[in-house]
Formats: sequence, structure tokens, C-alpha cells
Amino acid sequence: MVVRSEPIVAVGRLQRRPVTLSTWLDRGSVFSWLMMAPPILFLMAFVGYPFFYGIALSLEDRMVAQPGTFAGLNNFIRDANDPVFWKVVSNTFIYTGIATVLKMVGGLGLALAMNQQFRMKNLIRALLLLPFIVPTVLSTVAFMWMLDPAFSVVNRVLIQFGVPKPGPSWLGSPILAMFSIIMINTWRGLPFYGITLLAGLQTVPVELYEAATIDGAGGWQRFRYVTLPILQPIILIVTLFSVIFTFADFQLVYVLTHGGPQNATNLLATYAFDIGMGAGQLGLGASVALTMLPALALLIVAITLYLRKKS
Amino acid sequence: MSNASRRDVLKIALAGAGAAALPLRAQAEGKTITLLHETSFIKTFDEYMQNTLVPAYEKETGVKVVYELTSVGSLPTRTSTIIETGSGADVTMIFLLYPFLFGDKLQDVSDIADEVGKAQGGWYDAGKEAGIVNGKWKAIPHSNIGQLMNWRTDWFAEVGVKKFPDTWEELYDVGKKLKAKDHPFGFELGHGFGDNHGWLYPLLWSYGGHEVEADGKTVVIDSDETAKAVDFARKFFKDTMLDDVLSWTDVSNNKAWMAEQISCTNNAESILWFAKRNFPDIAKVTDQAQNPAGPKGRFHLLNCVSHSVFDFSPEKEEAHKFLRWMMAEKQLGGWYASADSYYQPFLHAYDNAPMWQVEPRNIPYRDAMTTAHLPGWPAPPGRQLAESVAKYVVVDMFAKACSGAATKDVIKAADSQLREIYRAV
Repeated sequence: MVVRSEPIVAVGRLQRRPVTLSTWLDRGSVFSWLMMAPPILFLMAFVGYPFFYGIALSLEDRMVAQPGTFAGLNNFIRDANDPVFWKVVSNTFIYTGIATVLKMVGGLGLALAMNQQFRMKNLIRALLLLPFIVPTVLSTVAFMWMLDPAFSVVNRVLIQFGVPKPGPSWLGSPILAMFSIIMINTWRGLPFYGITLLAGLQTVPVELYEAATIDGAGGWQRFRYVTLPILQPIILIVTLFSVIFTFADFQLVYVLTHGGPQNATNLLATYAFDIGMGAGQLGLGASVALTMLPALALLIVAITLYLRKKS
Repeated sequence: MSNASRRDVLKIALAGAGAAALPLRAQAEGKTITLLHETSFIKTFDEYMQNTLVPAYEKETGVKVVYELTSVGSLPTRTSTIIETGSGADVTMIFLLYPFLFGDKLQDVSDIADEVGKAQGGWYDAGKEAGIVNGKWKAIPHSNIGQLMNWRTDWFAEVGVKKFPDTWEELYDVGKKLKAKDHPFGFELGHGFGDNHGWLYPLLWSYGGHEVEADGKTVVIDSDETAKAVDFARKFFKDTMLDDVLSWTDVSNNKAWMAEQISCTNNAESILWFAKRNFPDIAKVTDQAQNPAGPKGRFHLLNCVSHSVFDFSPEKEEAHKFLRWMMAEKQLGGWYASADSYYQPFLHAYDNAPMWQVEPRNIPYRDAMTTAHLPGWPAPPGRQLAESVAKYVVVDMFAKACSGAATKDVIKAADSQLREIYRAV
């Protein structure tokens, strides 16, 4: 048998159709880039540009209303020599660390409770989202009144239980002020954890619990060896988001204490704002704000690597 | 027929579009300028500008004025944005150290200042301190919103005091007695915008303490005078005040006053103004006085409200004309009167104006202007002072001492912060 092969080039020539706009757009490589272009442009304009502009500003001696001059790392050196800056860094880590742990533990508890069967379950689940939905400024003003010495509902209750008048100074004492802002942040962030983890819980197959029960596992063991491993990736992702939001928190502190008393509640975002806008030192303010970057970047990389390894 | 009809429709459409465009063109030919202001605590003040001055100027000149209001506390951010982007309002309200930060982008308005000064009795020195940047007027002072003592006459009378104490030490003695009677004082020691600096700088100055010398370079906060002021503040806080003042922001003392929680504070005239309209019984027993004197004199904080024209504004000529018109006696007198005497003029022509008789309890605010200075005085205002104020160096020095830190430690911390700020430039 003789096999004759057709000249491929000739066939190719014969079968080639003219490339029209619609066939070009139909190509996978073109279409995917076309679809990605709007969000990429959006991100470049509203995230990329401010981000790189911020980096450029932090390397300049740049006063508002005046042209900047390149200053190298001078702004960062000034930050390093500023004791308030280190106080603010420490505050930000304490605030983020404690609030995140509280939100994680509380959110998990909330999700487990909400995963049970009870009457008006859907209504209560919807109501739980309220702290997250109410604008932060509004809820913070409410807390301002609740913690006010003259009108504090918290202190009135405590006084009923025998605490001497006028009760604790929730925002006047440095330790209590930090405690208060952590509690308010936790109250606000709990529903985010709760609802997201609840969604994760509902994906756990009932058969796994049944199998574990048959094997003699108790409630704690079912949670430890069935629920938790399945929820772990979701917990990590929620924690990642929560840490980013909490680390860069601004409104709560700005409205409630403006960083006082004596910088006890000043965070990187509020301190950067005061220097950039209050003192007009845009370069120095940008350098304070950018200190958040390495910590957050490390965290993002670590969690991404961990998730990739798990998968 | 159908062609003719289409042509007719086209003609009608074009005629309609032309007619609609006419008013727009006419409007574009007229000038529009924007005056940016922070919302006033005194509603009638903004209403007078909006309902009386703006229509009057438009009627007189054909120039439309937009009176743009921004919320309290947001003006520095707004003006910074306008300067950075080069677009926005043409004339702006401006206060404290901002004329000195923004000076390069503000129009020289010395001609207006000279003319207004000559026509209206001359400027207070405090007005010159607030408006002249490197020898040129970059801001025309409108008024001072003084920070003075507000006190409860009925509770002071309970401890035998009918006249406000003349010195800090005398006030301390009264405060001690009043706290024992559950009528504590409340002076802001937190991170607000004005009520903290409003009494702490005058206290420091009245004991002879300063941050920096008049040369603008030599840091002198570490002195015996500062130590005396800090020691006084510590006992003043401990024996006369509520603990919460350490976290107070600017609204806190107003709220505490209306809740009848405190017997004395340092604030603008807004406490009395608000009480008269909403808590008349409290207003009856509220009085106001100049700050007490210390060993080195009596001082007040200069809290100047001014107006500037942005030098990059495409309508800067019109804006200049408007500012001149606005500062003429005919307009200015009525505007001041619309707010009783909440805004204290920097022009001597108003020293005995009828507005002072509307509420004689405000007269100390007028008298305090001769001893008022900008934060950081006697150092020349500029970027270092602005940084010191934004970082609450002086406020936190006092606040830390009130929380229990040693005098030498808090002064040392403030000294090192100031040296870092001044070394950087």
C-alpha cells in the first residue's frame, strides 16, 4: 500500500479563511484578555497608580502645595527615630492581633450556633449581619455615647452591680481605651467571620459526621477531626481579609478617640493621616502608611503558600 | 411631502436645541466663583452669606457666587486636595497654621488688607500674626473664635466665688472645692482639634514655657518654666477634673456641659450660644471669662478664621474683587452681627459695635485678642510647628503627666520629639 501524503502547505492554503474581526475575537487568547482588560485597567487606575504614587511620595521631602525633592529613605529614617511611630506600630499589631483572634473564635462559635436548627433561623442570620452593614461612623458614634461617662449605659449597668460611681473611664485610660476599640472592632467584624464560616459549615457532608459518630467520636472529636480540617482553608482566607481590614482601620479610631489618650489608640492609618493632612507632610505621611506593606505582604504570601501546599 | 416633513422636523429640532443652548451660553459668559467654608456652628452665619451677601453680590456685579460648605474638621483635607489637584474653589476659608503651609499657592492680598485696615480702624496685632506670610498678606483675617473659660456661676457661688478667679492657682483652689461637691472641671486632654491646644498652650506660656525660640530653630521646651506648667497641670487634673478628659475630643466638653456634668471648661462661645437656644436654664448660669494668668502673664490661643484666594484659580481676579467686596464694612458688619459675637473681628472699628451688647457675656472674647497667639508662639509658624501640632507634642506632654508620668520624663520625650522635628529640615 502506497501512502501518499498531501502537501500540507497546499491544504493549509486551501483551508485558510480570511481573519475577520469576529473570528479574531473568538480566539481564546484574545477573548480572555479582552474580558480581563476592564478590571486590569480599573485596578491599574485606582489601585496601582495610588500605590506607586504613594511609594514615590514616601521617597520625597514633599510638603503640600510645594514641589517634592528626592529624599531617599530619609522619611523612613525619621520614622525610625520617632518614638510615637514605634508606639503606633505596636498599637497596630496589638489591635490587629487581639481583634483577629477574638473575631475568629467568636465567629466560629457564631457559625456553629447558627448551623443548628431553630425557629426563625433565617431572620436571626440576617439580623446578625447588622453590625457589618451599619456604616462604621454611625455605629462608632453610638458607641461613643455608650461609653460616655455621663450617659454610659455600660457604666449604669456596672454601677447596678456594685461598681463604684462613676464607673470605669472606658476611653480615658490608655489600656481601657485600647480594650474598647478592640471590642468595637470585634463586634463589627464578627458577622463577616460568622456568615462566611457558616457557608463553609454547610458544605460539610453529613455522612462524615455519621461515620465519625459510628466510630465513637464525641461532639468535640467531631469538631476537631471533621469540621475544623474542612473549614481550615476558609478560616485562613477570612483571616487574611480580616487582618488586612483591621490593620488598615481608620474610621473607628478617628471618630472615637482620634488616637488618644496619649497615642494609646493611635494606629498607622490615623497617624499617617495626621502627618499627611494635619501637618501637610505628604512624603512623611506616605512613609508611615507604607510601613503596613511589608507585614501585610508577608502575611499574604505565607497564607497563599500554605493554601497552595494544602491543595 | 414626506421629505418636506422630515426637513421641518429637523428645523424644529435645531431651533429647539438653539433655544435651549441660549441661556447656557449667556450663563457661560457670566463669571462664577466658589467660596469654600466649613459649616458654622452658628446657623445664621451661613444663612446670612447664602441668603443676603451672595444675592447682593450677584445683583451688583452679575458674578455668581457659589457658597460651598464642608463639614467641620474637613476643611484642611479639602483645601489640600484643591491645592494638589489645582482645581476647586476660588476663595477659601482658612485657619490656624494653614496660610503658612499653603502660602506659595495663595494670592498676595496685601492691597485688600491695607485698604480694609485703613478703612476700619486698623488690624489687631493678632490679625497680622495670622495673615502675614513672609511679609505679604496671604490671608485676610475675618475673625477669631476665641477659646476662653466657661463657668457655672451657680456652682461657683456655692463655694463662695462670685467673680471668676484671676490666676491658675486661684482657679485650682476653687476647682478642688467644686470637685469635692461633685461639680468637677473638664478640660480636654485628648486628641481633638482645638479645645486641647486652646488651654494648654496658654497655660504653658503663662508659666513662661515655650516649644521653640523666636528664631524658629532653638528648641527650649526643656525648661524650669515648662516643668512648673506641667506640675500645675498634673495637680489641676488630679484634684479638679474627671478622668475622662484624657480621651476627650472637641465635642466632649460641650456634651458634658449640657449634661450638667462639669462646672468649668475652656471652649469657644458655642457653649453659651447652644445653651441659650436649647438649654435656657443652663444658659442662665453660664458665664465666660478670660483665661487665668500665670506667673508670666495671661495668654490665649489665636484661633483665626481667614480667607484666601488660590493663586492658580482661573477666576482669581474675580475672586480677589469678591474678597475685597466681602471685607468692606457694609457687608462685614452685617455678617458679624448675624452670629451675635461668636466671631470676634480683628478690626478695631468693631471694638464697640452694637453686636457686643447683644450678649455682653461675650465681651471677654474681644478683650482676649490682645493676648492671643498662634500655636507654637513665639516661633514663626511653618512646617515644623504644623508637625508638632499634628503630632500633639505639647498636648501629650501634659496628658502623660496627668496620667501619672514624671515631669522630667514627659518633658524629655517632648524635647526629643521636637529636636527630631526641627533637625529634619
